Amino acid sequence: MLIVIVQVYPLAWLFVTSLRTEQDFATGDPFALPSSLTWENYARAFETGDLGRNILNSFIVTMGANVLIVLFGMMAAYAIQVLGFRFSRFVRGLFLIGIIVPVQIALVPLFIDYSAVNLLDTYQSMIIPLAGFALPMSIYLFSSFFEYIPRETYEAASLDGAGPYRIFGLITLPLSLNTVVTVVLVNSIFIWNDFIFANTFVLSEDLKTIPLGLQNYIGAMGKVDWTATFAAVCVTITPLLLVFLVLNKAMIQGLESGANKG
Amino acid sequence: MLPNRSRTSVLVFLLPPLLLYCAAVLFPILQSLVLSFFSWNGISDMEFVGLANYVRMLTADDIFWRSFFNALIYLAICLVLQLGGALVVASLLTSLSRGRELIKTLYLLPAVISTVAIAFLFVRIYSIDPVGLLNQLLHWVGLGSLERAWLSDVNTVLAAVSAPEGWRFTGLYMLIIYAALIAVPKELEEAAVLDGASKWTLFTKIRFPYIRPVWITTTIMATTYGLRGFDIPYLMTNGGPGQSSELLTTYMYKTAFTSTDFGYASTISVFIVIECLIAVGLILFMLKRKAD
Repeated sequence: MLIVIVQVYPLAWLFVTSLRTEQDFATGDPFALPSSLTWENYARAFETGDLGRNILNSFIVTMGANVLIVLFGMMAAYAIQVLGFRFSRFVRGLFLIGIIVPVQIALVPLFIDYSAVNLLDTYQSMIIPLAGFALPMSIYLFSSFFEYIPRETYEAASLDGAGPYRIFGLITLPLSLNTVVTVVLVNSIFIWNDFIFANTFVLSEDLKTIPLGLQNYIGAMGKVDWTATFAAVCVTITPLLLVFLVLNKAMIQGLESGANKG
Repeated sequence: MLPNRSRTSVLVFLLPPLLLYCAAVLFPILQSLVLSFFSWNGISDMEFVGLANYVRMLTADDIFWRSFFNALIYLAICLVLQLGGALVVASLLTSLSRGRELIKTLYLLPAVISTVAIAFLFVRIYSIDPVGLLNQLLHWVGLGSLERAWLSDVNTVLAAVSAPEGWRFTGLYMLIIYAALIAVPKELEEAAVLDGASKWTLFTKIRFPYIRPVWITTTIMATTYGLRGFDIPYLMTNGGPGQSSELLTTYMYKTAFTSTDFGYASTISVFIVIECLIAVGLILFMLKRKAD
């Protein structure tokens, strides 16, 4: 019981603090319940930053990257696992490198390349590396799933005259919906919260995602309006938290199966 | 292999993902490797310096070594919290009869929250003025003498920036290990209990060997994630005070984007990659030897 409290208490405290009055926060005992509750911090949070804009940007980046991760992951897994070709083992190995390599190695080269082709400060500058580094895991998950689709299904379809494209669209794609959900959920957590790529490649306010937007709450001279900041934090974690709580079962299963296949 | 596939169809399916992957991952790796032999600030001409960057890194750069050892300590703290914590909680969870789903969900919550939010949260937890959670707690249990500004004290700052990362992902590893633990066949455990095995023997002789493959996966995951840890230390202290919480990743980032020394920064990132590869190799090697 105690370890559960240690794990969860900071989050509860975060929420309670976002409802405190500023004065109560500055002087009061941090463990005490607030003397009065106020929604004022939320109003201030929306005034200080452009939270709506940040959430929209995070949404665009998450969607964009997920489309690439799922579609390309499925395609590559299909080519490697189902179609098969001479160097398929080599290509699979090439993709696996991406699981071990830390993302930081791509920062400097991508920064240079982006500035050469004018991609700095765009949605694409975040989506490309986020999708690229998530692709290996996605390919891996889809390949392990495709192994379970019986050969006979494909052979029967082939005899009926279906080519590789129709088989992909009519058999593989519909069967993999569960895996798609898993891949999207797991990746969304990481992409929604990505800090390093956004912080490196994005400069203009208009394109800032949630993690960067939150940083704006540290004012000049390091003075921080903590209660408003915590209110902003609460607002920004809500969308993902809701998805998480609704789809909790699917996500937990996805995480468990993903790792245990390895 | 599909009977009526064609060369074109393979290419149609394979090329787009491969191109994206090359552009985002493979090509940058090669580029870093090349850049690491140059001296370049992004504006003037690139100058080939051979191994000079590597020599400087390994023999003349105190900050590099400081960050390297800090990163190892950071990794050790994360591993203990994540894997140790995960194993303990997962084991407790298997003996629980109710509320498993709820606890799993609660434990996974921090993994869903952005690192920026977590950094903010922990800055407040550690703070002394106004009194943060940690200092207040110490005060209550009578350890008031230990109260301090955890993030400005050079002795505690490294542990203080490591703990949130550990806390964040304990739930993730706990889930994975839990799934493996409940897959241990009940008959095995029951037979052992009949033979009079204690809880501890049951764990070390039956359960743990059974989940070894999963343990290897999680250890590799936690290690590679630990070695690339960046967000939380960068946001909470930016490596300071001094270099006392500088990690290789934050040092590399500053070298690249504050000092715009792209060549030397690439040398450090090549080192980080090699470090990851060696770590994974070592884990596999050690666990293999133990198994034999």
